Amino acid sequence: MDRECALLLPGVCAVLAGSGSSLPDDTSLEKLLDWFTGITEDGGSLLETCPCLLKLISTVVHNAASDPGVLSFTLRLTGLLAATEESFKTIQEHPVLNKVFNLQHWQEAGLWEDPCLRIGWIQGLRSMLQHPKALSFFVQSGFIDPLLQLQTDTSLFIAEAANQMLAHILLFFQPVPPAGCKGMDKKEKGDGMTPSSADYTAVVKSISGYLKESLVPKESKNVRQSLQTLKLLALLLAQAGPPLRDKLLQTVGDSLEELVTAGSSELTLPLMDVILSACSSGTDERITRLLSSMLNINKPADLIHAAAAFLRRGHHDTVHTARAVRILLLPLDIMTGQTLLGTISTADEHQFSVVEQLKSKSSCISMICVCLSNTPQITLTPPDVLPCLPVSIVTAVLSLLRICSGNSPSSSTGCSEVSRNVIGSSKVQKCALEALTTLTSSPGAKERISEVFTVLIQYLENPDSDPTVLHKSYQALLKWTSVCTDFSFITDQLRHDLVEVVKKRVCDMRWEVKDSTVEFLGHLAGVCDSIKAAAEERDASEALLGDCSTTPLLREALQDSESYVRASAISALAKTLTHRWQQGATLTEEEPEIVSRLLEILSQDSEGFPRRAVVQYFISWYSSHSPPSSSSSSSSSSSSSLLMQSVRSVLSQGRADLDWEVKVHTLVLAELLLDEAFSGHPGYKKGSDSHHASPHAYGVVSEQAYTLHTHTATHTEGAESDLAVVVEQGVVSVLLSGLVDCDRPVALKACRLLITLRETVCPLSLGALDASAAMATVSCELPGCGWGREILKILKMKKSDQAKEEDIADQSGLNGAEEGGDSVCVSVCEALRSLGLDERMEVLTQSSDHIHNSPLSLLQDILTASATHTKPGEEVIVDCY
Amino acid sequence: MKLYCLSGHPTLPCNVLKFKSTTIMLDCGLDTTSVLNFLPLPLVHSPRLSKLPGWVSKDGSANLQKELKECAGRVFVDSQPEFCLPEYIHRELLDLSTIDVILISNYHCMMALPYITEHTGFTGTVYATEPTLTIGRLFMEELVNFMERVPKAQSATCWKNKEMQRMLPGPLKDVVDVWAWKRSYSIQEVNSALSKVQLVGYSQKVELFGAVQVSPLSSGYSLGSSNWIIQSHHEKVSYVSGSSLLTTHPQPMDQSSLKNSDVLILTGLTQMPTANPDGMLGEFCSNLAMTIRAGGNVLVPCYSSGVIYDLLECLYQFIDSANLGTTPFYFISPVANSSLEFSQIFAEWLCHNKQSKVYLPEPPFPHAELIQTNKLKHYPSIHGDFSSEFRQPCVVFTGHPSLRFGDVVHFMELWGKSSINTIIFTEPDFSYLDALAPYQPLAMKCVYCPIDTRLNFHQVSKLLKEVQPLHVVCPEQYTQPPLTQSHRSDLMLELQPPPMPYRRCSVLNLPHRRRYERVYILPELANSLVPSEIKPGVSLATVSAVLHSKDNKHTLQLVPKPPPVAPSKKRKRVLEEPPAVLAPKTLLSGAVPLEAFLATLQNHGFTEVKVEETADGHILHLQAEDTLIQLEEDGTHIVCDNNEPLRTTLRDLVLRFLQKL
Repeated sequence: MDRECALLLPGVCAVLAGSGSSLPDDTSLEKLLDWFTGITEDGGSLLETCPCLLKLISTVVHNAASDPGVLSFTLRLTGLLAATEESFKTIQEHPVLNKVFNLQHWQEAGLWEDPCLRIGWIQGLRSMLQHPKALSFFVQSGFIDPLLQLQTDTSLFIAEAANQMLAHILLFFQPVPPAGCKGMDKKEKGDGMTPSSADYTAVVKSISGYLKESLVPKESKNVRQSLQTLKLLALLLAQAGPPLRDKLLQTVGDSLEELVTAGSSELTLPLMDVILSACSSGTDERITRLLSSMLNINKPADLIHAAAAFLRRGHHDTVHTARAVRILLLPLDIMTGQTLLGTISTADEHQFSVVEQLKSKSSCISMICVCLSNTPQITLTPPDVLPCLPVSIVTAVLSLLRICSGNSPSSSTGCSEVSRNVIGSSKVQKCALEALTTLTSSPGAKERISEVFTVLIQYLENPDSDPTVLHKSYQALLKWTSVCTDFSFITDQLRHDLVEVVKKRVCDMRWEVKDSTVEFLGHLAGVCDSIKAAAEERDASEALLGDCSTTPLLREALQDSESYVRASAISALAKTLTHRWQQGATLTEEEPEIVSRLLEILSQDSEGFPRRAVVQYFISWYSSHSPPSSSSSSSSSSSSSLLMQSVRSVLSQGRADLDWEVKVHTLVLAELLLDEAFSGHPGYKKGSDSHHASPHAYGVVSEQAYTLHTHTATHTEGAESDLAVVVEQGVVSVLLSGLVDCDRPVALKACRLLITLRETVCPLSLGALDASAAMATVSCELPGCGWGREILKILKMKKSDQAKEEDIADQSGLNGAEEGGDSVCVSVCEALRSLGLDERMEVLTQSSDHIHNSPLSLLQDILTASATHTKPGEEVIVDCY
Repeated sequence: MKLYCLSGHPTLPCNVLKFKSTTIMLDCGLDTTSVLNFLPLPLVHSPRLSKLPGWVSKDGSANLQKELKECAGRVFVDSQPEFCLPEYIHRELLDLSTIDVILISNYHCMMALPYITEHTGFTGTVYATEPTLTIGRLFMEELVNFMERVPKAQSATCWKNKEMQRMLPGPLKDVVDVWAWKRSYSIQEVNSALSKVQLVGYSQKVELFGAVQVSPLSSGYSLGSSNWIIQSHHEKVSYVSGSSLLTTHPQPMDQSSLKNSDVLILTGLTQMPTANPDGMLGEFCSNLAMTIRAGGNVLVPCYSSGVIYDLLECLYQFIDSANLGTTPFYFISPVANSSLEFSQIFAEWLCHNKQSKVYLPEPPFPHAELIQTNKLKHYPSIHGDFSSEFRQPCVVFTGHPSLRFGDVVHFMELWGKSSINTIIFTEPDFSYLDALAPYQPLAMKCVYCPIDTRLNFHQVSKLLKEVQPLHVVCPEQYTQPPLTQSHRSDLMLELQPPPMPYRRCSVLNLPHRRRYERVYILPELANSLVPSEIKPGVSLATVSAVLHSKDNKHTLQLVPKPPPVAPSKKRKRVLEEPPAVLAPKTLLSGAVPLEAFLATLQNHGFTEVKVEETADGHILHLQAEDTLIQLEEDGTHIVCDNNEPLRTTLRDLVLRFLQKL
């Protein structure tokens, strides 16, 4: 804690002790507590540094009129202060500890009704219970019973906190910490920290007794208590070491059995959680038996959820897995008439009740969705567990999809009374499509690829398909295309259908549909490229879409009235053309038209998304094109000249854009140009920025430490001409204008690039004269207004500082800068050196609220607020950061 | 209550309800699918159609070259198209001259009106709402115009010969009652028929002879479309025809008034249960845009009112987003102008948000704006102005959806050969494959997006669950899944009790029995009544009165007093008083309790009583007197031989237990 804070703290304590109503806002207490917690965690002792806190506690506790919020804060603060054994002893010497946590006191004062106080009590104790002394205090004060009562508090937060607390006590003070015990930080728990076994035994006894009592609901209204207890039990069993686990299971075993037998629907899932937690921490005959009973309960809907929970836990036990798999496949079997379970269906009665359940629409949909979302995992279970081949499950999902769209052939033998419930249900359709997408990885799934394509195209074709269903269909189609190696199954008819449907969907009335279609076309080009790269096979895009070129469709979409569609079309075009660019193919007729349309969008579009996409289009073009020098063909150079020409416009327009993301993307493009210009240069450090990792620059401060280049190698050769090229391309203007941008991510990125440039062409380590001699000839023009003026201002300021230092009174003009009309020419090197980039960088890397977020500011706020509170009439303006 | 079913077409119904003393015809739809068997009527000479080969049977025995032509493997009648009328001519099902009133539910269901009002001796009244009449008239005028502007000299009749027809290939061979098919009516007949229409407004109550009251309710399907309530004091029959729950342009459907019906006659459900109108509308727009972008023309065969308003409204929003702003839209129909204009003035028949626009300075339908901005142009026919302003690629809306007559025939001939053009079917009344048959081979792309906003099975089940009629009568088609989709058990009506199905020519005895009739009682007479309470809350009184019935209204009046004897100077015979009105015998009510009665008998000295239980009550045998007393639910008999005093004694004992009125 710095001195300033330490000085202010007593004042703040006085304010808090007085009345809490004058606090600047309701988060200040939390912030204060966070700060204290931070100090404690760093190993500082609050008691020593701030004795005023103890005073605060005793004042607040004895003041009956204290604000509940402040009281709650005090309770938690006390817990925090007493978190180590030493400080606990110190506090115990004062009479305050007993008072603070004294339940009776709060109840009598009528404050216990306030949930604020109850949660403060729990959290305070929770912070304190880090050492055996605290446990003794806890046990001796008889806090265990009130805590157990809070477990079913009316406030969910309190109930949950109480549960956590109970788990914490049992797990933290476990006598022998098990080797693999997760979640608990045991580093502070050295020798001599073991609590007196009497205390711990007492705690275990009362808690486990309580668990046993409260597990089985006495009346239906007590279900909530059972739920809470089951949650607690699941927490405990997942982390408990063998002695505690055995003890717990021994105590609650009977109750668990009773619960399983009672078969309450509400409790099925939590109960399953408990049993599975118990299973995961060890094997036990009784638990295995309970698990078996859970997988044999009578209510189909509950059973399915139990089976799904079992599979999700990834518990590998052949008998039960096989059982769960059968349970989950049965509804699918009934609905589709696919014999997934073979003919030896033993549980006819069960099947009957499942059918009955499926006849009700709502339960049918929910059950089928559970089954579907588990199918991918089912297909991956070992073959000896599966009642059928994985591929039959794919077939079943396909036939369910057909039923859902009402296209199922009448010959299907599924139960019609059941299947009518899912016709047209987009929820089931989405679930099934998701399952189908994941099923690509199932063994043998590829056998069905032709059928899959047919069904998916039917879905795309269906006029009643929901936009989200269409989106999922496209995703499934892409996924299946990406795993496909042989496209011979695609018939002309299939191809024709797909082409037609895609053409139709790009004209859809709903923009979501247009957007997903355009996106699909882009992704398809991407998928096809990757397939092509992997194996020199036939063009997948061609295989799917025949000779239908998607470019005209995408070009049409550039005119769309919805900005998302325009943006998607632009990125899809980029993906479609990437392959051509990489090959250095000749310029097609339409490319110049596309480029001019894109530049039009960049300069005129009112929405940000398409403009961002345009800059990214050029980024991907620039990064995938082959440089003109390597290819001598004239056609490729015409493509290159178009690219360079448009890049120049993109840089100048992107720089002036209102959207900060467009500007950041423009800087990325500028960086690519820098990379190309200086890549052969010894001093150039490519990829100075982590732009590949994080597309959202905002708020993400690169952790990469900035290091100054200290090389002194000769660098002048070639750099001068390269620099001239870069200036001529407009890169330097982009960087300079970015530097003075009001959006921090833009300025940050520009600053980094400028520093890289400076280190390349005129490092500070070189003498000023040395550099200027070599580079003085390269200059760039600054406009007389806007960003140019800003830059000039900085330069002048620097200059005058220098002038003062050197005591030269020549402030009339800038050395190396000639005023010419409105715009001004400055030497690039001079500018780079005198802009104070390193200081600027330091400022920019700090987050914008760093000043207002400090503890000092918090303390000042509290003090100011209280001051104005006592002097009414003055308004206080609180920082909202 | 009887229902005569004259049409088998579920969406073009024609039923007759006999209810109390009235005979009510419910709709008179005209089944125009018969025209699909005829060759199209081209507006300008079509070399292709005129060169079609005549049909000769394989063995050459039947030669109908002049009447039948062969096209793409199918045989068509080369004559003016004819329509299949509702059943009334050949079967003596019903004498249509006895029809008292015809209730029309919407303009699609009145196209057979002239045949009935003009040729059957009909003398009653037709009830319809104003938009139904106006648009119905437009439809009829359009039909007459389509037929009369390209008259056919010959009329083919030989093929109808039974012997001949048997040798024809399908589907001509299988059509029934071809002799009953009729050519279109004339404009005079239309005018005469429509002059018999009396306009009604929603919820207006019309008394029919005092026997029943009929009243139209909004059905939400088209402008002015109605369902009808037919009720007497104690019975209620609802007639639901062509209703829609979708919020398109018409006023929403009035569902609550259908509650508590004894019988609900349900017709006019969607013909396309698997095609959701929203999806179809989307399909329509995207196919349209796709064709225009590829430089093709779009042809939309449609009726001149109804769904076209919704299509135009949808396109109004769509054309900008799809960059179709410069594409011209043409609406060609002899009644195009009237249809577009009338739709704007039927404010009270529109849905709420369109109604509210009437009070703003903007028309309720956006097609007005399309016309103003020249995006939509309408013409009475392809001749005249249209030909000079016609620009391609374009979108043309025109009739008739059967593709057998109207301007659409011309566009089929014009655009059919190019695969960049598209025909989009939006009307659900005709099978598009049959409609296209005489144009084969066809290069043009065909898209079928039938838009039928009428109730689907899901909606109707929900509706019936809410209004809970005692009995439902519906066409038999609704009681089983569609033939082509036999597994879709969700596409049929499932009700408890099951609906009563009907088919063409069915006569149904509706299960509802009339049990009550309302009778009025005059106040004076009512005053004279002396009710006596027979059980708590139930009082009875006897009444003597004269029942007066007039116009199906029954009134109890005082028995007329005899005219006072004219005072005469001479004394006449005293005895000549009018015969005193016999005081009515008192009526007895109640039951004789056995135990108490036995006790009473005992008290009166009848000791030897043997009681026998019978099916209806008891027989008491007074052995000493050799007398029987039969106590039954509705009568008591005392059987004793010639012992009048005994009988009287016993009678009085019995009477003690009964109440007298």
